[in-house]
Amino acid sequence: MSQRRSRPLLLKVWGQNACFTRPEMKVERVSYDVMTPSAARGILDAILWKPAIAWHITQIDVLKPIRWESVRRNEVGCVMSPRSNGFFVEKERQQRAGLFLRDVAYTVHAYFELVGGAGSADNVPKFEEMFARRIEKGQCFHRPYLGCREFAANFEPCIGKPPTPEPINKDLGWMLYDMHYGAEEPTPRFFRAFLEGGTLKVPPFDSEEVRG
Amino acid sequence: MILQALVGYYRRISLERSFGVAPRGFEVKEIPFIITISKEGQFLGIDDTRDNAGKKGARKYVVPKSVKKSVNIAANLLWGTPAYVFGMPKPDETKAPEKLTQRAEKQRQSFISKIRETFSEPVTDRGVAAVLHFLEGSERNKVFGHPLWPEIQETGANLSFKVMGENILACQSDAVAMAIDSANQEAIGGRLQPCLVMGELDVPSRLHAPIRGVRGAQSSGANIVSFNLNAFNSYGKEQGYNAPVGAKAEHAYTTALNLLLAKDSRQRIQVGDATTVFWAEQAHKMEEWFADFFGELPADQSEQDNEAVRTLFLAPRMGAPPLEDDYTRFFVLGLAPNASRIAVRFWYEGTVGEVARNIKQHFNDCSIVHGPKERDYLSIFRLLVSTAQLGKAENIQPLLAGEMMKSILNGTPYPATLLSSAIRRIRAEQSKNDANGKPLQNVTYPRACLIKGVLVRNARYYDTGEKEVGMSLDRENANAGYLLGRLFAVLEKAQERANPGINATIRDRYYGAASSTPLTAFPHLLKLKNHHISKLESRGEAVNLEKQIGEIMAGVKDFPALLNLQDQGKFAIGYYHQREEFFKKRDARDGEEDHE
Repeated sequence: MSQRRSRPLLLKVWGQNACFTRPEMKVERVSYDVMTPSAARGILDAILWKPAIAWHITQIDVLKPIRWESVRRNEVGCVMSPRSNGFFVEKERQQRAGLFLRDVAYTVHAYFELVGGAGSADNVPKFEEMFARRIEKGQCFHRPYLGCREFAANFEPCIGKPPTPEPINKDLGWMLYDMHYGAEEPTPRFFRAFLEGGTLKVPPFDSEEVRG
Repeated sequence: MILQALVGYYRRISLERSFGVAPRGFEVKEIPFIITISKEGQFLGIDDTRDNAGKKGARKYVVPKSVKKSVNIAANLLWGTPAYVFGMPKPDETKAPEKLTQRAEKQRQSFISKIRETFSEPVTDRGVAAVLHFLEGSERNKVFGHPLWPEIQETGANLSFKVMGENILACQSDAVAMAIDSANQEAIGGRLQPCLVMGELDVPSRLHAPIRGVRGAQSSGANIVSFNLNAFNSYGKEQGYNAPVGAKAEHAYTTALNLLLAKDSRQRIQVGDATTVFWAEQAHKMEEWFADFFGELPADQSEQDNEAVRTLFLAPRMGAPPLEDDYTRFFVLGLAPNASRIAVRFWYEGTVGEVARNIKQHFNDCSIVHGPKERDYLSIFRLLVSTAQLGKAENIQPLLAGEMMKSILNGTPYPATLLSSAIRRIRAEQSKNDANGKPLQNVTYPRACLIKGVLVRNARYYDTGEKEVGMSLDRENANAGYLLGRLFAVLEKAQERANPGINATIRDRYYGAASSTPLTAFPHLLKLKNHHISKLESRGEAVNLEKQIGEIMAGVKDFPALLNLQDQGKFAIGYYHQREEFFKKRDARDGEEDHE
């Protein structure tokens, strides 16, 4: 039987700002302290995704101290409906406050798995190589971002020994893992997150530690 | 993080004080008037629970949680306004009386049907049965003849019921609690989902209880967790289902936060536009002291005997363990209103030790030589108010206060605007007189504290390698700004000595120019100086002043054309230090004379 699972892959990402929004405070946004697994998966998906593979996050290292910034800005408060004649943005303004992270950098530890979409020509080394080539060249399908589209992420390969995380120990409480689409309606899944020596260990999505 | 910490606080206080914290489905509310009825539902009287005829608010009761209303009619269970209880609206001149009465009648109907819906027929609870009997019969009309009634209708104050002989309100009985619980279960009937605060399975709350007491927010309360427009929804979910917070956690965090924000809370301070609350994981003295560090001190308490500051600095000397070693966790939450929602302005999570260490660092950074009548440590409020126009609290820049607090708690450099606003105030007030026409100081003690603090902190944080400004006059400091500040003080002194009792000194006209563009001001000032010194009667004094000027001038190579903001700050500190030095000398001289 051929191999279904890639070796551990590392990626360094960083950016000026980030907002990994907490669901309970997503209107007046407040970020989680650390990148969530779903945000990390989003970044990997932006760089390489095919129907043949699914990404799994195993660990996130925090490379800079957690710093905050409070910003207030104008957004829009309604959604466009196909039945409406559109709306006038100036009338639908909503001021929203946000507590964002500032000057962040992370090492994402992940692997991918071949899934149902894999054909006979697909194999694990093929995608491993593709991933390595793409991050080397800085290629992506869409610009990866740190939680919100407006906070673009920079990325580079992590060659050799991964950088040392900041020595932060913190109980982060229940953190959003990702959405689960199997049930009748999409439901969020949560896991208990701890930062130990700047490292967030992420349990497998289908393990008992993940609730939802 | 925030909600978790609040739930933890709720657990703590519900153990510490068993009443005053409402159980699930209830809330604590001021009820000014209690209607007493007999078991048969006859009207007996009205109790006025207000202190001091309504000036200080009324007694608080645990009552069934209020229903959210905006324009709709929705009654609370067994308590409400006269409009709901009796169909008697609060008079409002802007609205037609018939409409008001019609609406009130509907409100009354809804009040009764709310009770009927909540309790199954026949109503077995004696208290509830008595209330129903009273409300549905003609007995209720007797209320309108009571001497308190006109006032009740005028104020639209909340009413509730008590049955004679019982020591609780009719809405506080066990039967009511059970009915509320089962009504909630039915109403929700929803799927269990893991609560994102506690992690346990629970029914997510659709709407969260409102948070009251955030300055500037609606008086009826606003929400932290709220999805009040459809742009905020995700995955087709509505309201609270967007963020599954279980009913238990929802009750716990809203109750805790409302308690922290309550009117008489000692754990709330206003920092700029952010209403700030703070609490510790376990009961801790820091909860009392924190307000003393940051808040406005009560008028009757002098800062000299500020217990908080004293403990911070003197604890080791008094044999108490230093606060810096305390690992009790401490939380600070700053909230600001935003259109019926509440936004988190800042959030701090640390230990009491860290807080103590950082606050102590702040006081050390800001301390500077001062006159004997001034206090050693000024509260942060006193410092900030010195940057405000007319010294008024409402003129403090709204964001400045919050940023300042954040930088103190985190031990990071003070906000950049702090230096510029202190310098701006100094220049704006260079020629201000008091009510008697005597000139007022512009580089005041609090401003000097602030500027010194900013400079010291920046120097440490960015490691500029420049010589720091110190507590008091530093003759070694060769910074051009600092030297020119000292020179300016000596020149002013020469003028004062030449013209004793003078009303306007060179500071009135030249402080701004001297501190920002020395090249344009100082040559002229030095010419004036020659004139002043020649007027002095005492030759000794003249020589002395010339010597001081010469000493300072030795360090000045050229007069710079411009001084940047940092150097303008150093100018202010140099000026302040030199002036304090003069006072010190004079005080010492005065002291000697006394001895003779």
